[in-house]
Amino acid sequence: MKNSIVAVLLAGVAVVLMGPALAVPALAQTSGLPLPTAVEKQLEAKASNVTEVTLDKTMLGFASKFLDKKDSDQANAKQLINGLDGIYVRDYEFDKEGQYSMEDVDNLRKQFAGGDWVPMVHVNEKKSGESTDILAKMVNGESRGMFILSAEPKELTIVLILGPIKMDQLGELGGLGGLGALGDINKTVKKADKTAAKGGGE
Amino acid sequence: MKALAGIAICAIVLMVPVAVLAGSGNGFDGVVTTLEHRYHAHATRIPFMGLISLVAHKASSGGVCGLHVAEFDEFTAQVDGDELNSIVEEKLGAGWQRMIRETSRHGNEQTLIFSRPEGQRMGLFILDLDGHEMDVVQISVDPDHLNQTIHKYNHQDGDADRSDDDSD
Repeated sequence: MKNSIVAVLLAGVAVVLMGPALAVPALAQTSGLPLPTAVEKQLEAKASNVTEVTLDKTMLGFASKFLDKKDSDQANAKQLINGLDGIYVRDYEFDKEGQYSMEDVDNLRKQFAGGDWVPMVHVNEKKSGESTDILAKMVNGESRGMFILSAEPKELTIVLILGPIKMDQLGELGGLGGLGALGDINKTVKKADKTAAKGGGE
Repeated sequence: MKALAGIAICAIVLMVPVAVLAGSGNGFDGVVTTLEHRYHAHATRIPFMGLISLVAHKASSGGVCGLHVAEFDEFTAQVDGDELNSIVEEKLGAGWQRMIRETSRHGNEQTLIFSRPEGQRMGLFILDLDGHEMDVVQISVDPDHLNQTIHKYNHQDGDADRSDDDSD
């Protein structure tokens, strides 16, 4: 009996003392874009400026609290954001043209090829060398995510939105810091539609 | 008696690594101290920060508290973005998640923003290096309270703008 009390006491002391010791070396968690690290590292090594935005569900919930429920636009955005599981943005700026290859872009596209991901828009402007790809994650006929890849000669932007979202809702996310460019995606899509109607472009 | 002696020995044996780890300093101060050592730079801590933090807490109706600020002037060391990020991640400790990272290969421009849920509040750690100045800030915000305060002033601004328009 005495021995078991001593054993419990010892275990208690060990837990109390070891708890912080085990917690201290744990590093900050950095859940990022679900891309293979190699692809990200490769692009990062070539880019002169890199911007990363990582907003998981908790962060999005926090960000949505800054949106005003009384303002109809912000209320819509708030509702949308609360339903999302994550927003990941990677922007790579390069000093010179040709510092990333089409192979790099294809590697990125391949990560989302097949499965639930369905290509929705592919715009390739030969004159300017710009291209935009939009893929949607379709689950049971409903959009559960969006992947946007915008490639310019000296800039590569990747946006991944996880959760229920439609193309026409992208602009609503523009209110979130750093995501203002998403509003321009709608313009790109409309431009692509017009070009397709005229029978030009790709 | 032997058992008690055993407990005491165990406690001492276990306390040593805990004390060593605690001494290495984590959190805001750990980050700043490590940056000072790594880049041979001196950080200016704002005096009476506790008092300022208390005033901010009262003024923002609890929206903002736990302010920590350190400023590195004349920061001339060359910074590797990856290394800086690793230092901050390691020294901040568990629970912090990187939200924004902006890194420039040319010139000293680095921005890191980490966040950590703290119950109803959110802890934010911000490091910004621009040229020869690096600012490190940690803050705890309550979005609900802060939002109310922001909107209160927004409405006041709106009212002021309207009265200006009326007087024209």
